[in-house]
Amino acid sequence: MQLGFLVDLHLCMGCKGCEIACKVENEVPLSTWRLRVKYVDVGTFPETKRTFTPLRCNHCENAPCERICPVSALHYLDNGIVNIDKERCIGCAGCVMACPYGAIYIDPQTQTADKCTYCAHRVASSMMPACVVACPVQANIFGDLEDPTSNISKYIQVHQGGVQVRKPEKGTNPHHFYVGGGNVTLNPLASFRGNGHSLFNNITTLPVGGHH
Amino acid sequence: MAHEILAATNAVVTLDVALPGIVWPWLVTVNMWAKSIGTGVIFMLFMLLRMHPESVKSLRLPTAIVAFVSINIFLLFTLADLHQPFRMWHIFVYSNWTSAIAIGSFMASAFLGLLTLLVFYAWKKNDETFDKLLLWVTILAIPVTLYTASLMAQCTARELWQMPTESAQMILAALLSGSAAMILLGGNKFSSEAKNTLAVVLGLSALMAFIIYMSEYIFGPMKAEEVAATLDYIKGNGQYSVMFWLGQWIAYLLPMLLIVLSRTSKSESILKLAAILALVGLAIVKHVWLMIPQLLPMS
Repeated sequence: MQLGFLVDLHLCMGCKGCEIACKVENEVPLSTWRLRVKYVDVGTFPETKRTFTPLRCNHCENAPCERICPVSALHYLDNGIVNIDKERCIGCAGCVMACPYGAIYIDPQTQTADKCTYCAHRVASSMMPACVVACPVQANIFGDLEDPTSNISKYIQVHQGGVQVRKPEKGTNPHHFYVGGGNVTLNPLASFRGNGHSLFNNITTLPVGGHH
Repeated sequence: MAHEILAATNAVVTLDVALPGIVWPWLVTVNMWAKSIGTGVIFMLFMLLRMHPESVKSLRLPTAIVAFVSINIFLLFTLADLHQPFRMWHIFVYSNWTSAIAIGSFMASAFLGLLTLLVFYAWKKNDETFDKLLLWVTILAIPVTLYTASLMAQCTARELWQMPTESAQMILAALLSGSAAMILLGGNKFSSEAKNTLAVVLGLSALMAFIIYMSEYIFGPMKAEEVAATLDYIKGNGQYSVMFWLGQWIAYLLPMLLIVLSRTSKSESILKLAAILALVGLAIVKHVWLMIPQLLPMS
């Protein structure tokens, strides 16, 4: 079994339901996110378009975080999920530095690394990840990549040529795919990131782990 | 490249979360700087004992103590940087052998153990055993110097830190700081030949390191989009432009000029000034190179 994720960006409408469901399910502390939806506006008025991109851990086949972790706190499960053992983590932040997707953070409460685990605890009980359940338009497709009859495998077969991953040049072989993505949605350097991109404040960076 | 994309798409992030700030702070700068001195003085002592044994016969104990203290500072700051410092022992119990951090921890611990023995034999004035042990300490000092480069290379997200460039910079930093520390440590005890040898090592390592930094500064952006975006922080009005050039002048350019001056004027004071500048500048250079890739948004 090789679990994977696919997000159809044609369907995503940026409701952030997945973001909230993830926060609640995994009790993600304030100022940290396992999953978030980024809005990027493209073009010049009146020819403008808003894009929505859910961003989470890519559960790479060749995961830099797993390789750099000195204590194997980040490890593979048999189903391909890159899981984290917070009791073992020493908080060196090597994984945060290694992840090319910015998907790992230091939990300010436990002072250990944390990230999306594809809701491994739910998957172990044969349930779907919380974000999949919460999505009102079924933009999140989750399943076994090795099973040709799974929804995700069928989706990939139907959309061959249009399936993309983030930063393929890094050689991480992500098990997280996008349909309908482009440079603007998948490449963080392709969009201007100014001050005040949050609706509610002008904070652009937060201290890692709440201190340092 | 990133600039062309921005112009073409006119894309702006309009709603997102705040991104994490600096992950590895100044504590890691001190870590690298102290390690360079700790291993560098060992390299220099090994070299001087073979080239100018009379000049350094009284420097075994002071050099071993400087190395011992520097490596302890390096380990202390490594520990201080951990978010869970009391779990440090996990590294030795749950070791992941693909991790440069785990391998480096073992090597650094062994290195500290051998340095402790060196201090002991130097204090006992057992020069024969000291010199035999120094050979093994010097050999171990090479991977201890290099492992941080491996660690940086394992940071897939930080395109700026490439192997083998970082390896070369780590060795050069050790030679630079080691020779500078020895110049300050030895003072009048050195013969003029020994001083010349250390000055040559200091000057050449400064020159080589400067050439590599300038090569990356000029040619790095031609290869990778992320490197171009990262180097923008030290170009023009970049956030770290002033600090970058300050570091290059203090660590490399001024020491090179002062070494030439000291050799023509036979002035020990100028050589010592070059050594002090090299040590101070190295910390600045290391800090800038550590910070700038962390400013780039990863997602």
